[in-house]
Amino acid sequence: MASNSNNVYSLGDHDSEMEMDFTHEGEADEDLAMGSSTKDVLFDSVIGHIEDIIMEEPFQIIQTSFLEKYYKEFDDSEENKFCYTDIHKEYISVIESYLEIELKKRMSDFSMVEFTQQLRDRKQELEGEIFEILLTFSDFMAFKEMLLDYKTEKEGNTIDLSGGLTVVPVKDKLNLDDAFCISGKSLKGP
Amino acid sequence: MGLLTILKKMKQKEKEVRLLMLGLDNAGKTTILKKFNGEDIDTISPTLGFNIKTLEHRGFKLNIWDVGGQKSLRSYWRNYFESTDALIWVVDSADRMRLSDCKKELHSLLVEERLSGATLLVFANKQDLPGSLTAREIREALDLDSIKTHHWLIQDCSAVTGANLLNGMDWVVNDIASRIFTMD
Repeated sequence: MASNSNNVYSLGDHDSEMEMDFTHEGEADEDLAMGSSTKDVLFDSVIGHIEDIIMEEPFQIIQTSFLEKYYKEFDDSEENKFCYTDIHKEYISVIESYLEIELKKRMSDFSMVEFTQQLRDRKQELEGEIFEILLTFSDFMAFKEMLLDYKTEKEGNTIDLSGGLTVVPVKDKLNLDDAFCISGKSLKGP
Repeated sequence: MGLLTILKKMKQKEKEVRLLMLGLDNAGKTTILKKFNGEDIDTISPTLGFNIKTLEHRGFKLNIWDVGGQKSLRSYWRNYFESTDALIWVVDSADRMRLSDCKKELHSLLVEERLSGATLLVFANKQDLPGSLTAREIREALDLDSIKTHHWLIQDCSAVTGANLLNGMDWVVNDIASRIFTMD
């Protein structure tokens, strides 16, 4: 676990690996001739790489450094501070650029523009844990929860159940239609 | 737009909508949010950041974002425009002094490109207070009839008693649903 608060997650170190690869100039023509099964294989291999990347240690280090840098900003209260939004935006962009850099390292002709287009084309078939994980990165409530979990871990707080449980008053103050169902779920997906 | 943002937009569930609740400070936004959620509304202090709640309504998942309305906070509103399906504009119907301010802020939101497709619900809140203006009066004061760019409705309500909150929400959900349906 990274213990210093310097920019351990800085992505600048990888700049040298982002050099353009000009050996695939005929790619567009190849792409037209490519059978759909070849495209499937390529698509699947990108997904496979993404799965690898987020499971590997360097990614965990980036994640931890990010948490380390910002956990002190977060409070376990219901109301959110405006700075959470900026921090979340930065988190998303750190992950996005890291994924792109790593994919280019692993597949010299990888193009994010093409890949996102392929995602759109396959909109209906994007099932599986990896997509759930990727979606969690951009889910604000999941992000806040992650920061607060880290904070609790760092500060060694024991779990205080009274803080985690909210006593909800009887809902008879509001005249509810039967059709209206209220629940207090967080934004985090199932 | 990066990979994660693209993916999020693509995978957005059909029956999941994002509602952005704005208005001047002390209009009752957080009270409306908590009332909807069946929470205690006796100890609400001014919102300095933002609150988020997710409710189920008629098979729709409503993600409601309630952002603080103090003057110094209004510049932050723009950070929450993205992907908004409906704007819920909350008005303190008893605050006659600030109606022109209220009108100005509302109309400045309506020209925002990222809110251009959003449904507009105006809650004429605090109808339980003596001396509060009616929905018709608020409608005139805010010059709602001049709005041609958005589907809009004004609903009188009281966050404290809960009166008419559901009517307003029903309309919002119906309007969004019909829009999505027409687009398909």
